[in-house]
Amino acid sequence: MIPSLLLRFLLFSVLWWVLAEGRIDGWWLGAVAVVTATCVSVILMPPAVHRLRWGQIPSFVLFFLRNSVRGGFQVAMMALRGRAALQPGVLELQLNLPAGGPRVLMTNVIGLMPGTLSVELAEDRLRVHVLDERLPIEAEAGELEARISALFGVGR
Amino acid sequence: MIDILSAVLQIAGAFFYFAGTLGLLRFPDVYSRLHALAKADNLGLGCVLIGLALQAETLAGSLKLLLIWPLALAASAGVSYAIACRADSLGVAPWRKEKH
Repeated sequence: MIPSLLLRFLLFSVLWWVLAEGRIDGWWLGAVAVVTATCVSVILMPPAVHRLRWGQIPSFVLFFLRNSVRGGFQVAMMALRGRAALQPGVLELQLNLPAGGPRVLMTNVIGLMPGTLSVELAEDRLRVHVLDERLPIEAEAGELEARISALFGVGR
Repeated sequence: MIDILSAVLQIAGAFFYFAGTLGLLRFPDVYSRLHALAKADNLGLGCVLIGLALQAETLAGSLKLLLIWPLALAASAGVSYAIACRADSLGVAPWRKEKH
């Protein structure tokens, strides 16, 4: 509990420092903001059992960047072609991730991956809207799930 | 050299914003429009921010520009989910292509 509080406090402090561009003359306002942010984050997202594996973060970030560029490019091309490019549908995915952080991260990240958008997360089932049913959505969602499992160090 | 790279990135960013807005206008329903906003606009924002960060005068200034991206991404992912989830619970049916 204490180490994770301290870590959040430090992260919010760094965030403030960057947002203030390194100036320290408004430090008291920063202190109020950092303490408030730490308290709110503990209420909204209590320190959980599933911890991030820090060593896994770089490869996850690379995977995320590659796919969000691909996703943005794909949807941009579809927008240029108009409705003819679309064949939307709704899929229901069965998640093998534990509840809490991992599932929430999956729900959010899949909205930035090519062709998918989360519609509803209910227990271990995630409904996604897809722009084109012909794309290999399930395989890609499976890969994202494997990446998130590795990020949190949880078995599948 | 850095100026050229920065200009190219900002033009690419403007293109993705253009495409995102085009998607917002042309796509048939709320879900498809969210795809365009969540993905194309965020990629556009990323390109513009990297382009601007290359020209920032201080390290803290360019870090600040780069930091805007993940913060906006997190907000955008959460908000798209919230809108899609609400539309779904109100019974808004996704648009489907007519079968020929």
